[in-house]
Amino acid sequence: MLAQLSRFRRSFLDVREGEYGRTLFVSLYLMFVLFAYYILKPVSRALFVDRMDPDKLPGLYMLIAPVGGLLAYVYSRVTMQISLKAAVNAATFFSIGFTVLMGYLIKFQWEWTYYVFNIWVSMFSIMMVTQGWVLAANVFNTREAKRLYGMLGLGSVIGAGFGGSFTAFAVTLIGENNLIYFSALITLLAYLMFIGLLRVPGVNLEKAKAHEDEPEETFSFGDIMRDIRHYRHLQVIVGIVLLTFIVDVTVEYQFQVFAKSQYKGRELTAFMGSFNGIYLNLVNFVFQFFLTAAVVRWVGVGGVLQIMPITISMTSLGIFFAPGVLSTSLARLTEAATRYTFNRTGMELLYLPLPLDLRNRTKAFLDIFVDRFGRGFGGLFLQIFTVWLAVKPRELSLVILLFTASWSVLAWMAQREYLRSVRRRLESRTLDFEEIRISVSDPAVIALLETTARGDNARQAAYALRLLGETEGYDAMPLATSLAGSRLPDVRARVFSLAAQSADESLLPQALAEIRNARAGATTASIKPAVDYALAVSPERQDLAARLLNHPSGIVAEAALALQPADSITLEWVTSMASSPDGSNRRLAAIALCKLGDTGTPLLHSLLADGQLSVAEAALATAGELRKRIYLEHIVQRLADSQLRGAALDALASYGSTIAGTLRDLLEDPQLPASIRRRIPRALEHMRDQRAADELMAALSVPDLTLRAAVVEALSRLRRAAPELNFGPSVVDREILDEAKRYYVLSASIDPFRQQAPASGATRLLASTLEERLSTTLLRLFQLLGLRYPAAEIHAAHRALKGRSSEDHSAAIEFLDSVVDREVKRYLMPLLDDHARVLDRAKDLYGIERHTVESALRELIRSGDPWLVCCAIAAAAELKMSSLKADVLALEGKAGLEVDRLVAAWPN
Amino acid sequence: MAELNIVEKVIALEAVDLFKNLSGEQLARIASIAHQVHIAPGRTILEPKREVDSLYVILDGEVSLVRGTDVIHTAKQGEVLGSWALFDPEPMAVEARAETDVLLLKIARGDFYDLLSDNMQITAAIFTTLVRRFRQLAGS
Repeated sequence: MLAQLSRFRRSFLDVREGEYGRTLFVSLYLMFVLFAYYILKPVSRALFVDRMDPDKLPGLYMLIAPVGGLLAYVYSRVTMQISLKAAVNAATFFSIGFTVLMGYLIKFQWEWTYYVFNIWVSMFSIMMVTQGWVLAANVFNTREAKRLYGMLGLGSVIGAGFGGSFTAFAVTLIGENNLIYFSALITLLAYLMFIGLLRVPGVNLEKAKAHEDEPEETFSFGDIMRDIRHYRHLQVIVGIVLLTFIVDVTVEYQFQVFAKSQYKGRELTAFMGSFNGIYLNLVNFVFQFFLTAAVVRWVGVGGVLQIMPITISMTSLGIFFAPGVLSTSLARLTEAATRYTFNRTGMELLYLPLPLDLRNRTKAFLDIFVDRFGRGFGGLFLQIFTVWLAVKPRELSLVILLFTASWSVLAWMAQREYLRSVRRRLESRTLDFEEIRISVSDPAVIALLETTARGDNARQAAYALRLLGETEGYDAMPLATSLAGSRLPDVRARVFSLAAQSADESLLPQALAEIRNARAGATTASIKPAVDYALAVSPERQDLAARLLNHPSGIVAEAALALQPADSITLEWVTSMASSPDGSNRRLAAIALCKLGDTGTPLLHSLLADGQLSVAEAALATAGELRKRIYLEHIVQRLADSQLRGAALDALASYGSTIAGTLRDLLEDPQLPASIRRRIPRALEHMRDQRAADELMAALSVPDLTLRAAVVEALSRLRRAAPELNFGPSVVDREILDEAKRYYVLSASIDPFRQQAPASGATRLLASTLEERLSTTLLRLFQLLGLRYPAAEIHAAHRALKGRSSEDHSAAIEFLDSVVDREVKRYLMPLLDDHARVLDRAKDLYGIERHTVESALRELIRSGDPWLVCCAIAAAAELKMSSLKADVLALEGKAGLEVDRLVAAWPN
Repeated sequence: MAELNIVEKVIALEAVDLFKNLSGEQLARIASIAHQVHIAPGRTILEPKREVDSLYVILDGEVSLVRGTDVIHTAKQGEVLGSWALFDPEPMAVEARAETDVLLLKIARGDFYDLLSDNMQITAAIFTTLVRRFRQLAGS
């Protein structure tokens, strides 16, 4: 209890330096708004009940639902267009004006004014109260909000309490009309708090929106109706929500009728003020902050959903047997308080079984439509029962009992579906406690997890045990202890992990037995957690670690090695391990060298070249830790091995940018295999610093197309990961222009083949290769543009240009035209035009002439690009272009094996 | 028949459905691990119940696909045998037997994996083809 009180205090009073002004003004703003609202609410209801016949009440409920809903919709549409500041200004002055007008009109006691006044008060809550919370959301960031919302909530509770008690006290002195004017004055005070808030340093609401621009979850009635027909669980939820609001309206009706029978005129207003402002708020407050979480933990989701129908049934029986203002007040108090607390929590959890997209859609539908529809429907029910069937308010309790019985059955069905859903998620191991927050404390869920943990399905059992271990307030050790002898290694693994987390020594004998039974080469999941646990809790951990170092199981020895102090590892031991025929021993040596340091350098060379994957992997990690240049060559060689590439890249990245220059030399070294050179840009990218970026920029002009693509891609990723780095605009511009020139040259080469459109054979292959080259050149060009201009937008523009939508195409051109520098634009924009214009510009800009097939093939044969050369020779042979013979034969022995074969096959 | 040059191999590989998203240059890389195999008439190329470890493209000749004693299809130039063998070693349900002199282009699974590990873009293109195929299957 003390801890709870302390948590409660912290959640309310943790205001920090720089937050005082904002917290004070927002709290006071909310306080005054709620103050005004809790004057208007009891006055409007009391006036209606007092001055009108009770049989008009159902009509009011039916009217408030659709009209209030429509006005709320219009209000939200209007506020979407304006800033928060403008919305607060407009809403405040409109509220003040309309409230004053109502205060004046009420004096005439026209019947319609009571309807309008009640509808207006429901609008006031939507406009001013909701807006108050939007204001808070814009003044505090998420972390501040988490701490301070308790304080702001307290402001609201105090405002509501003051409003209610002030109404009760003042109505007999100044009357309802003056109270309405007074509420307008209080609204003005709230506005002054808003003005004060604007003057607090750091508060800027100029750009804040009154309504979130984010796309809200939308739904169509057709879809929702189809979903409701399809999902029984959804039918149950809709049923519960409808019943909740029908009962709400019926209970409120009974309350108001009996209040009218007891109180008249200003006394009625005073009673309504005390009831709504003080008692109802107080009970809500206590339930929300002290009871809800505990009750959910105690009775679970199913139990929580039963609280409301059961308590309402009991209070309705009370009304039936002892009708009066006391019993109806108690019923109203119980109904409203449990709806805002227990039922709301239970309903949130009930959405869990629904698929995520359906859940979001449904919630939007329920929030916007079913809530109001339920109240309107409740009004209709009341109309039927009280006006047409002349059922007395007391007898309505029996009708309520019918509703609550159905409600209870629906709640039971919902709970069953909820548990089924938890079980399904457990089976697929997708149960997420973040998502279902409170339900983790649900006794039924806990029992389900315990049963699953004891089950035969290893993965599910281990998963359930992990979830239980993460459950706040749940001691998983008794269950873990009972599962220490499980035949399932995954479960034993989880048991030892839990025991290690709890520093519980009681399972040490079981862990030692697990270690003893571990065989060489065994990979059982429970071995490592057992070693980690034993070494964490054993009173003789150093001795134990020394003994386990010689264990035949590599997993055990490695875990033990991790705990050995560096000075206890000798070079002799490492040397003997490194020369062992057993791979796990050599791996151990590689790991130990990380602790031993440079003493073992010659050993590490041999381990880096080890044929066994796991050994080389450990050696690479050690080399990365030691960061000695002497190992670089071995690490780089390992880039060629696809299975060790990741470890080699990590090792190179560990060196940092001190080796960036060396890596660029290697990247440009034609003696090194292409399979290694292609990986080096990735290693430089992993370093994420300016020097690495500079070396990549310098490597942009590497002639090999595949390498250049790897460099450009690495730079693009690096820019996304580290936008603060400088990517040398002048270098990038130069490369963009080079890439653009390449595009023009390729366009000229492809032109005669486009016109001939060969259907098959080598000529078609050449044409398609040239098209592909054009496309990749354009991609590289845009990747380079992405280094100079906003990368995401440039990427989107490239996608749009490749797409089929002419609208997107035009938008992309317009975007590029507006952001790209003039000089670059001169070369870039014509590229995006039609092919004929590209060729015209190629001539204007670079003097590139249009080709014939023969001249295009000649140029391609001379291009030096191995694949294009192959295709061009094959196409020339296919087209029997003997005029190209000299060019083809000139390549013999100069352009690689495949070209030589083609040259050799050239017809004499 | 003389050994095909790289361009001819690429043209032959274009017939393979699995490779249809690859560019000519990427196909050239695959062509570099594809070898020509000659099979005499009557010889079995793929046996039921025997693991398949290569994909074959028929360059020339005819191959009968036989289930039990029934010839269910005669595969000809440009058709592929064991098209899923590069990913799935499960035996084929039929026997593939050379009816004439048959010339095949063979891609071994091991070589193919080596190539994929070095060529991420080829891997991505093949994944795209596979995913489209699965979608079509799921859709149908």
